[in-house]
Amino acid sequence: MSRILPPGVSAEQYDAAIKEFATVVGNDWVLDTDEDRVSYLDLYAPGSEHQWPASAAIAPGSVEEIQQVVKIANKYKTPLWTVARGKNLGYGTAAPRLAGSLILDLGRMNKILQIDDELGYVVVEPGVSFFDLYEELKRRGSRLMMSVPGNGWGSVMGNALDHGVGYTPYGVHARNICGMTVVMPNGELMRTGMGAMDANHAAHLFPFSYGPTWDQMFTQSNLGIVTSMGMWMMPTPESSLELKWDIPEEDDIAWVIDTLAPLKISGVVDQSIFVPSWLGKLSVKGTRAQFWDKKGAMPDWRVQELLKEHKLGYWQVALRLYGEEGIVKARADVVKNAFRKAAPNLKAEETWWHEGDPINTMDPSAGTLGIPTAMPLMMGEWVGGRSAHLGFSPVVPASSKHVMGQLKRSRELIAKYDMDFYASFTIGGRFCNNINMLMWDRDDEAGTRNVINLFNDLIRVTREAGYGEYRTHLGWMDAIADTYDFNGGSANYFNQVVKDALDPNGILSPGKQGVWPTVYKEFAKNGRLD
Amino acid sequence: MFVHIPTPLLPLLVMLGLAMPSLAMPPEGSAPPPMPTYQMRAATPDGDRLNSTATAETLFSNHCGYCHLPYGMGTTVLMMRRMPMGASPASALLTNRDDLTVDYIKAVVRQGIGAMPRQTRVDITDSELAKVADFLAGGSQ
Repeated sequence: MSRILPPGVSAEQYDAAIKEFATVVGNDWVLDTDEDRVSYLDLYAPGSEHQWPASAAIAPGSVEEIQQVVKIANKYKTPLWTVARGKNLGYGTAAPRLAGSLILDLGRMNKILQIDDELGYVVVEPGVSFFDLYEELKRRGSRLMMSVPGNGWGSVMGNALDHGVGYTPYGVHARNICGMTVVMPNGELMRTGMGAMDANHAAHLFPFSYGPTWDQMFTQSNLGIVTSMGMWMMPTPESSLELKWDIPEEDDIAWVIDTLAPLKISGVVDQSIFVPSWLGKLSVKGTRAQFWDKKGAMPDWRVQELLKEHKLGYWQVALRLYGEEGIVKARADVVKNAFRKAAPNLKAEETWWHEGDPINTMDPSAGTLGIPTAMPLMMGEWVGGRSAHLGFSPVVPASSKHVMGQLKRSRELIAKYDMDFYASFTIGGRFCNNINMLMWDRDDEAGTRNVINLFNDLIRVTREAGYGEYRTHLGWMDAIADTYDFNGGSANYFNQVVKDALDPNGILSPGKQGVWPTVYKEFAKNGRLD
Repeated sequence: MFVHIPTPLLPLLVMLGLAMPSLAMPPEGSAPPPMPTYQMRAATPDGDRLNSTATAETLFSNHCGYCHLPYGMGTTVLMMRRMPMGASPASALLTNRDDLTVDYIKAVVRQGIGAMPRQTRVDITDSELAKVADFLAGGSQ
């Protein structure tokens, strides 16, 4: 693929920048071949992956190298799109929002700088994957337990910075962040929180230090490059109990949420509770064609047949309690009583786990016990072809009124666009993250267009009802930012003012989450799917 | 990405468990083999990644082991694809294959195939890939 230069940069200027980058990181870590450019395209792009091309990638090996690269980028005005491991699948992978940006790939920086069993935290560099950290904890005999997202191939740090979620009591990953080292847009280095004091002993223990608190400013953000980060980790519990219910009917989600949310808010249940619909369970029993060989959404009567045949509910709750056995038993009684009141005929399937019991890689409960896996990528086999997926992810209050409203709204639209319905609600606190998973074959041009149109309708209708998304693909970053519209979009205005003040050349990840520096504002119209 | 871990592919796993050379075949009529435990990859080797001195086995385990160890995502997908073609379940493990060539492995790693995404030169360097490709191809160009 040919090289697309960043806006306003001549070939001579670009080549001079590349030469200077090479003096810092070495020739071999400037990845500037056609094959390299292809390797940074978004493999799940809705439509052509060439909508978001990088001009090259640079892979620094140290904080000092990052600082020098940022200074050179400022000199030549070459924007850098920073990725940790570049595995943000479904949200753009490693591809940049602004065509021609250079990828700043931090994958080489993969050191685990600190593991503290006593106080329960780690300090990691961007290139550390969930697998890397899990295995190092095992090798060292650590008692810390991880919280993992669906796909453990990606970066622990990148996932938390992008507001990723998991299914343990530490499942809201951005909340575990404490104390960062950050390269500022001018190449200078800073630390957040207590770590702003040199050699402070509580750098990763107390987030509310002195003065403004900046950790969260660097999440889903283009205001700095995080080069290492403290993450709080949960001590492995002595025991754990999984209570599993298959919930028969679609509308049962109303009482499920109203039963579970108070338990979560009061602390009886401390995990992020994941409630997926049937398709997640069916998709691992075979390919779609084996269950329904026609295009378009599987009809309801066929869904009902399949649920009966495979003994599945419309929803499934696999709730997990953690702690000393006595505490877990007491909590389980409270949870089971609450369920009994709501649905006297449903009985929980109970599975105990005790520390030291082997954990099976492919057991669905591995996720709630912090075991990384890449298995969810298999969901590609369901649709077949060159399959891709997108998640439409609004946040709704954890009560039946709001959950039912969103369920019916997205279900109706997804049916209108003749696609299968696959949703989940994860109760992470007073809110649910609702994910509507859309899977399609990228080689089917009409099908791809259909998904894009559906996504646009979902954004609009959901905004009209008073809800917003927490994360999205490159192609909709601006559209979602536009839905945050209070007082004429004053939050977006604030973001841009801060961006311009800190990064006047607009070097760091222009367009990330719809935040455009003034210098590139006119290019915000490109690469939009709305 | 925000999706949950799928329910176990029990029937497939049992087949795979029986087929894996590292696992003992249970006697006729006994309980099915236990579910597999987590497969540890080799630790990330130290040293210059541009002129790797690590063994090919280590590099394969560390870089490809996310998906291609026993019970990995790649192994499972390959088994589902290969068994209907008459191949043995054990051939889902890349280290058991005898039909891979160096050029094919390099092309698949850089270009991706099926559920396998493209690997950048930060994911695996040319030097590391050359060793892994030689190892998997067993001398076949």
